[in-house]
Amino acid sequence: MGDRLTQLQDAVDELAQQFVACIHYVHRHHNLETLGPNDEIRQLPKDAEQEVDSYPADVFKAAQVELAQDLITKEQQIEYLISILPGLDNSERDQERNIKELEDELKSAEAQHQEAIQEKKDIMSNLDEVIRSIRRP
Amino acid sequence: MADPNENQEMQDMDQITSTWPRPPPFYKDFTADNLARLADLKRERAETSNLPSNSTPKTDSKDANDLLSQRLTGLPPNLRNLQPPLPPDEGAWRIFGDPYRLVQPLPKLEEGGEIRPVVANGGLLADGERDDKHFDRATVLKRIAKSLLLNFLELVGVLGQNAMDAADKVKDIRDLFYNFHHLINEYRPHQARESLIATMQAQLDRLRAETTAIRDSKEKVERMLEGLGSLKIDQEEVAAATTATGANTKAPAAAGRGMGELEGEMWGMLVDPAN
Repeated sequence: MGDRLTQLQDAVDELAQQFVACIHYVHRHHNLETLGPNDEIRQLPKDAEQEVDSYPADVFKAAQVELAQDLITKEQQIEYLISILPGLDNSERDQERNIKELEDELKSAEAQHQEAIQEKKDIMSNLDEVIRSIRRP
Repeated sequence: MADPNENQEMQDMDQITSTWPRPPPFYKDFTADNLARLADLKRERAETSNLPSNSTPKTDSKDANDLLSQRLTGLPPNLRNLQPPLPPDEGAWRIFGDPYRLVQPLPKLEEGGEIRPVVANGGLLADGERDDKHFDRATVLKRIAKSLLLNFLELVGVLGQNAMDAADKVKDIRDLFYNFHHLINEYRPHQARESLIATMQAQLDRLRAETTAIRDSKEKVERMLEGLGSLKIDQEEVAAATTATGANTKAPAAAGRGMGELEGEMWGMLVDPAN
């Protein structure tokens, strides 16, 4: 699982693969027709590799529908991925300003953090002394 | 390391099994002392070289930044490696025989051969390549996605009619795919900045939460100490009351007095740091 751009690119590549797969399926499993009354379908010997492996009409049709639906689903997936791309509304200048602001805020937060840690240390040593003095008989 | 045999052994092992090259020998120069010395030297240099700019207190932080990025010459040998080397002048170098460049521009669609770009200029403004007006990438991408489906439908149609004409359509689809990928790749720097922003925001939130947590626990301890103090007062009063009531309760009274002394001591402790 990569970042969103990579996901999007993967999805597009998958769409391309689906295109190929669809054509391949149709090419491999379509039925055979005669174009004229004198044509006849050549019967290949059973054991030979068949170029076209015809499927029954209903199976072929159902598979076509499924492939078409898959294509649509993939395309919708791609559109969804596009719509959630990060920072579509920010221009480069916005981003730079944002980064600068965050940098400053980080610095001040870091300073506060150090301050808090120092205060904590003080209060800890304070507490330490008090506890030790209680222990004294 | 002092043992020469062991050293020899290690070197032998390196020759046989080292997957990665050993760190450069100067990593040993990066000691805390050396780093502090370098910082001192830099500060000295800054003070001697630009006194007038130091006189204005407002630019102090900027000066500090300049100071850190400033390069010193004529350093003693053990400090020389602490400064990162300058980037190569020509912007290109070789590692393991492969050439590398400092700037790696995204190859333009047109350069890759006969690909027809869907969007003129690749969506970037010609000067400075800054999309201030914000080019609506999402819409274009969605359009391309839809075009892909449509073109595929057309391709299947063409294949059904006359398979010889399909080559053009295939080329259309290929161009669309290339364009799609190119637009996404152009968007990558944008995403990189966006992730940087998200990471910084997360870090900021974490830091702030941590600071608040520390402050909270500090206040808790303070309240506890105060509570402890007031508790002692009660005990002192009790002790005073017991001593006053009579001689038959000597033992508790002594204990009470002991507590009273401790009490005073405690208050001293508590008051002192407040000052």
